[in-house]
Amino acid sequence: MAASAIFILDLKGKVLICRNYMGNVNINEIDNFMPIMMKREEDADLSPVVIHGSTHFLWIKHSNLYLVAITKKNTNAALVYSFLYKLVEVFTEYFKSLEEESIRDNFVTVYELMDEVMDFGFPQTTDSKILLEYITQRGHKLEVGAPRPPATVTNAVSWRSEGIKYRKNEVFMDVIESVNLLVSATGSVLRSEILGCIKLKVVLSGMPELRLGLNDKVLFEITGREKSKSVELEDVKFHQCVRLSRFENDRTISFIPPDGESELMSYRLNTTVKPLIWIESVIEKFSHSRVEIKVKARSQFKSRSTANNVSILVPVPSDADSPKFKTTTGQAKWVPEKSAVEWNIKSFPGGKEFMMRAHFGLPSVESDVLEAKRPITVKFEIPYFTVSGIQVRYLKIIAKSGYQALPWVRYITQSGDYQLRTN
Amino acid sequence: MPYFGSEEMVKELKRALSNPNVQADRLRYKNYITKVIRYMTQGLDVSALFMDMVKASATVDIAQKKLVYLYMCTYASDKPDLALLAINTLRKDCADPNPMVRGLALRNMCNFRMPGMTEYIEQPIVAGLRDKASYVRRVAVLGCAKMHSLQPNTDIDGTIVNELYALLRDPDPVVVVNCLRALEEILKDEGGVVINKPIAHHLLNRMKDLDSWAQSEVLTFLLRYRPRSDDELFDILSLLDSFLQSAHAHVAVATLRLFLQLASAHPAVQADALLCTSAPLLATCGAASRELRFAGLCHVQQVMRSQPGLFGTHYKRFFCGYSEPTYIKFRKMEILVELVNDENVALVLEELRSYCTDVSPELAQAAIAAIGRIAQTYSEKCLDILTGLLALKQDHITSAVIQMFRDLVWFCPQSTAAVCQTVEACVDSPQDSEGKQALLWLLGEHGDQISSAPYVMEGYIDGLKTELSSAVKMELLTASVKMFLCRPAETQDMLGRLLHYCIEEESDVCVRDRALLCYRLLQRGVEETRKVVTGPKSDPSMSVLTGRQEEPISQWASTFNTLGPLSGCDLCPQTAVISAADQPSSSAEKELLPESTDVTLSSPDDTEEEISLSLGPPLSHETFEKMWLDLEILQRQTMGFPRPRTALDTLQAALQLVKIQTLAFTPGATVPWKAYIYTRSTGTLILAELLQGDQHAPGIDESLVVSVKQQPVNQHAIRGFVSILKGVLGDVW
Repeated sequence: MAASAIFILDLKGKVLICRNYMGNVNINEIDNFMPIMMKREEDADLSPVVIHGSTHFLWIKHSNLYLVAITKKNTNAALVYSFLYKLVEVFTEYFKSLEEESIRDNFVTVYELMDEVMDFGFPQTTDSKILLEYITQRGHKLEVGAPRPPATVTNAVSWRSEGIKYRKNEVFMDVIESVNLLVSATGSVLRSEILGCIKLKVVLSGMPELRLGLNDKVLFEITGREKSKSVELEDVKFHQCVRLSRFENDRTISFIPPDGESELMSYRLNTTVKPLIWIESVIEKFSHSRVEIKVKARSQFKSRSTANNVSILVPVPSDADSPKFKTTTGQAKWVPEKSAVEWNIKSFPGGKEFMMRAHFGLPSVESDVLEAKRPITVKFEIPYFTVSGIQVRYLKIIAKSGYQALPWVRYITQSGDYQLRTN
Repeated sequence: MPYFGSEEMVKELKRALSNPNVQADRLRYKNYITKVIRYMTQGLDVSALFMDMVKASATVDIAQKKLVYLYMCTYASDKPDLALLAINTLRKDCADPNPMVRGLALRNMCNFRMPGMTEYIEQPIVAGLRDKASYVRRVAVLGCAKMHSLQPNTDIDGTIVNELYALLRDPDPVVVVNCLRALEEILKDEGGVVINKPIAHHLLNRMKDLDSWAQSEVLTFLLRYRPRSDDELFDILSLLDSFLQSAHAHVAVATLRLFLQLASAHPAVQADALLCTSAPLLATCGAASRELRFAGLCHVQQVMRSQPGLFGTHYKRFFCGYSEPTYIKFRKMEILVELVNDENVALVLEELRSYCTDVSPELAQAAIAAIGRIAQTYSEKCLDILTGLLALKQDHITSAVIQMFRDLVWFCPQSTAAVCQTVEACVDSPQDSEGKQALLWLLGEHGDQISSAPYVMEGYIDGLKTELSSAVKMELLTASVKMFLCRPAETQDMLGRLLHYCIEEESDVCVRDRALLCYRLLQRGVEETRKVVTGPKSDPSMSVLTGRQEEPISQWASTFNTLGPLSGCDLCPQTAVISAADQPSSSAEKELLPESTDVTLSSPDDTEEEISLSLGPPLSHETFEKMWLDLEILQRQTMGFPRPRTALDTLQAALQLVKIQTLAFTPGATVPWKAYIYTRSTGTLILAELLQGDQHAPGIDESLVVSVKQQPVNQHAIRGFVSILKGVLGDVW
């Protein structure tokens, strides 16, 4: 991929960190970046690739920072973006939140990390778990156990170090499904998909071998249990620890897990499910006087499940004022900085319907600025429930030393990009 | 920030760093060093502290060491003489028992970008290549590339190249990939690292040990390899099959590119590969990161050039989200236009219609343009929508709609009547020059069907003084003349005024010339003018428009998975033009061209260039023999002089000098005399036989005959090789 240099800039384009990996670009090239960006932003022609002469800037924005890679080669762009996001991930792991302040406060560690993740423009060790083993934020002294490159850097099992020990051995598994939904203003479902992932938190000693059994449709067909309830997974992707050849042969998911938290697998389902929370809204705007909003929310899942922390964000004109609300349940409040009404319902059982009415005043002088039609967005989470019906049938832990370990499994369904357009 | 008095501050730091009390207190000392680095990062010149920093490098604290090394790397090129002082410490660290320290020192030493560095780093690098710790080997391998980039014009060190080729078998996957990267850099001028069959198969077998970055790069390197047989090809493809579905978008896309190239002779395999990757590609189009989403969309666009139907059923995934940046929305709209078919046209149009009222005028106009393009196939539905948009009375919308009307009439003459009716009813006139030109064209071309046309045009003629755009004025002239031809009575007077103004008062020469042209044309008579001015009212070649032609995959496969598709499809030709016009920067520009050998083969101006030969990994006698028997003789030529009479080892040395390796030769003065030689050049392997006293051609007994075989074939390289060989033999003789 050969990124000649990587920069971290603040929003004004001032360089916070720069690392010239290859030495084939002038470091001052970066001064061209911001002016070009400004100009292109004005022309509404922004793009994640900015070209100046023979220099290509590939950039991403994270909170109040720009991460920019400079390259002179015709490289694989997806690779560079993935790397920049990986960098963000590593920094976030180290500093909790990645922003201008945390870069300034930790610039020594930032330099150390940038030294390890890339050399001469090529990615080296980017796994934050491994990096955390030998780059810490405390200074090391050589005589008291100087850091050595961890065995994982060279290990055959590159994601797990040898000699991990815990007093109590446990595995926590979270099955998380997020629902993406897009509904048109006329109420027809434009897009509905479920993105699922299985997250692990592993507290196990040694090099244990784990086997995971799911109610996978393909597996059930192989083993002749077609009658049982099963799900058809699409786009299944695994953490590198899962032995893909075994999965392809007999659909067994077997692996040596990374220590600590990791994402074991992800999948996608395109099946059309009934939207879990359905919103009907009427937004009537009487120019120069008022806006009246009527929102009806209905939960379309079984009544034994309950959605928690439901938050429905309904857009209102930015110049609206003097709000009045009436709800059948929950709290509604006006959030002027988002120009929206936020209707919060702590607990929303399945098969129920709630209403919210809002009334806003509008100024008699109307602004000329055309307002965008923003969608209604909904946030929620439903514990002990998966839309797809996926189930963990077993999680076997086979350790050489023969200790007993307990697996814990949790299910949760949450909203992803859940939008309903308004008129 | 202390921009003012920065000199003072540097002095103060210098004082502090050289204070023995501070040096004794490790924490305080380190704090000062951190401070220096902080100022350096802020762009302050702290190079004056170099000496003190060098002293600070002799520490046991690794973090402090790293900071000092970073400082030294930054300023080494400015202070080469002082940097030399640091080298001893670094070299000592290179022999430290801790591999971490060894690696760190070696890496930083290689990062000193100053002339004369090579002699100090060569030995540690060579030692590092054989280090027990793979961490150090990784650093050392890339160090070779850094060393080469310090002195790009020197000869390539054959031993290091051979050592790197050998390290391709290293157990550590990162070392393997770093070797490829380093060789690629070092052998850049000779076409990069050579991927022969054993290397290719070795890499393929190691694929699953590599991390995703390395996988993606190895896949790119493998593009160079051409399998010998179909069996081998399919073996390779089945090894790579699982990577098509990789969790990492960049790996999946790189695999797809390799598939497309390897299977270029098997369209069915290509189609299968595309089908397989369509799921990961679609997933990338919905990725959480907008940049990856953008890259995914650009690649989907490329795939659709050959397989427009592939994503047809997934059109809903290309509907725009509210918060997506415009560059993604633009791409999505372009894709939607391509995906339209009888089933989804209603929904797609409804979706696009909702974008037309977006607050961003650029986006709204793009959406209208998209509807306009769909109108070329589904004109009725689109006309309804476009007409409806006019009622919104938004300037930018009206302008875009009128422009679409013009294009529509030109491409689909059957919609003319409907368009004319709408234009007639439209009271708003566009305000920007593109919109005005479009309206004027419509009025001029179809004035006979728009009853109010002369009156609208009169408005423009009356407002001529305030019109700024000369393009609009020229369009107005043409349109008025056309109008005069079909409705003379209503137009004559205003045409006269228009011509008078444009000839007498207009300052823009182009407009005046156009007016004069029109005037003289009208003097020749109405019939004459009609013959010149009125052309066809629509594009006859476009009358049946049934979607875009499917392009062959090879059209775009070479730019797939590069920056090309992201920065617009015109990137490659554009840069080619620049490099031709602007020689000094051409090397940088050329790197942007697709890395395929076909380009070098077909471009005619390359033949003038010198080709360069290289040694590469040595060939065994067996391999040579096998290849010699397998390949055809591509060129046979007499050298015109007998074999050199010098000692044979002199000849061998002379050939070695120009990077031609001698494999075997007949000793002494035996007749016939033979020699087998080989070399590499820009990705091809050249084998040759020198022969004197061929019994089949007794006439030319005395002269030396050279027979050349090559894999893969590259005539240009052969010509170069023969001329170099001729030169050497001539010199020796």
